[in-house]
Amino acid sequence: MIRFSHVNKFYGSYQALVDVNATVNKGEVVVVCGPSGSGKSTLIRTVNRLEPIQSGEVLFDGQNVHAGLKSAELNRLRARIGFVFQNFNLFPHLSVLENIMLSPVRVNAVKRGDASQTAMRLLDRVGLAHKAKAYPAQLSGGQQQRVAIARALAMEPPVMLFDEPTSSLDPEMVGEVLAVIRSLAADGMTMMCVTHEMNFARDVADCVWFMDAGKILEIGAPADFFSNPQHPRAQRFLSDLHVR
Amino acid sequence: MSMLSNMITIIEDNWLLLLIGQYPNGPLGGIASTLILSVLGIVLAFPLSVLIALARLSQWKVLNWPATALVYIVRGVPLLMLILWVYFLVPLLIGDSVPGFVTMLCTLVIYEGAFLSEIVRGGIIALPSGQMDAARALGHSHVGAMRYVILPQALYNMMPSILSQFVSTIKETTLGYVINVPELTFAASQLNNRLLTKPFEIFAILAIVYFIVCWSLSELANQLEQRIARQRLGDDQSGTGMLPPDAPKLQGAT
Ligand SMILES: Nc1ncnc2c1ncn2[C@@H]1O[C@H](COP(=O)(O)OP(=O)(O)OP(=O)(O)O)[C@@H](O)[C@H]1O
Ligand SMILES: [Mg+2]
Repeated sequence: MIRFSHVNKFYGSYQALVDVNATVNKGEVVVVCGPSGSGKSTLIRTVNRLEPIQSGEVLFDGQNVHAGLKSAELNRLRARIGFVFQNFNLFPHLSVLENIMLSPVRVNAVKRGDASQTAMRLLDRVGLAHKAKAYPAQLSGGQQQRVAIARALAMEPPVMLFDEPTSSLDPEMVGEVLAVIRSLAADGMTMMCVTHEMNFARDVADCVWFMDAGKILEIGAPADFFSNPQHPRAQRFLSDLHVR
Repeated sequence: MSMLSNMITIIEDNWLLLLIGQYPNGPLGGIASTLILSVLGIVLAFPLSVLIALARLSQWKVLNWPATALVYIVRGVPLLMLILWVYFLVPLLIGDSVPGFVTMLCTLVIYEGAFLSEIVRGGIIALPSGQMDAARALGHSHVGAMRYVILPQALYNMMPSILSQFVSTIKETTLGYVINVPELTFAASQLNNRLLTKPFEIFAILAIVYFIVCWSLSELANQLEQRIARQRLGDDQSGTGMLPPDAPKLQGAT
């Protein structure tokens, strides 16, 4: 479903991704982990071209994301990739319901009535139907992130990407957001999730990618990766997190 | 004391002239004309300024260059010069003489358009980049993201600055005097020519009227600014966002 091949990415002279090769299959949940600054956000943002790359290919559903796309085609492709940010990035001038309805109505030309029904169904799913009329600033961080997930789901994407969805939350709110992501995984959603929640990774991931300094150093099933990491950097990373 | 009573007499005898000029026997003038000119100027300059701002933020050189040049030139030239240029150029281009009011309006639209565009551009840049990222990630085009996500927030935050710019515009309309635009200053000077002996009283009235209008509008802008700042502060404590829950919606976004 998503394939990185020989991806290189530079910020000026600093190389943030170094010859990245990896694949996310349909229905798979991939957790990306690694120390701060290792390039996790950069990698996940290349999937919908929020970050450009300098060489290599990123394929989504067989389509080359970074070459040969007209801007309208790129917009259509992005609409099919759900993206959830660390800082939620809800639109503060719109109510919760309008946040979720905006893109189905304006990008996919869904009728307002239908979009509103879908939005209410999704809000119900993330447990926030009673907040439909609230504005983002009136919600807790955990609630905002659940709305952000509902907003992404409203476009009915076959893939969801999460960039540290719980990192800016107070500890007591992490669980409610992870529960929503777990339920998506249970429904068979294809997902790529950057996270430091290793218990979550152990339970939900089909595959763990460990990154350091712009490279994917290790790819493995969670059981293997957590109990028996191969790369010394991965061993150090895990022992720093006290998960072993 | 006698100056004050003179002023009151002058107002009593000439309030209509100061209010609407020689209308209906001549063109509309006085403070009505000043306000109409300012409102039209800022209202017409506003869409222009948004376009200039978007052009300046564009990566396309064809848009970026002319817009940047326009802003730099207009900002680098005294308004009076711009008025004289429009005054002599527009009739040449149209081949017909143009009323002073229209000349002044054109000048103000260009001038305010350039200044407002800097305010609009600042307002857009000040928004967190995550807003644009989120809109693009959902599949909005650049234009769609601007229209539904960026501009409604930026314009709301900019309302106090736009109001201040409106106050400047009111003061700038006085320069229309040099090309005989019938407005408040023009009316006062007509009055002065007629009465001859009371320039202090007349121009004191003029100053007071301008001061009351501009000061109250500036005060409104301050209040608005404080309100928005307060709301933004409350927002920041909750961790996100630029706008308060009760923010008026500038555009029907969905
Ligand atoms: N816009 C940018 N310009 C220059 N360098 C950048 C930019 N964005 C990221 N970098 C650098 O690229 C590297 C990878 O950044 P990235 O944000 O992908 O790391 P990360 O693994 O997501 O880290 P974190 O866990 O802190 O989010 C870092 O060294 C960072 O300093
Ligand atoms: Mg990151």
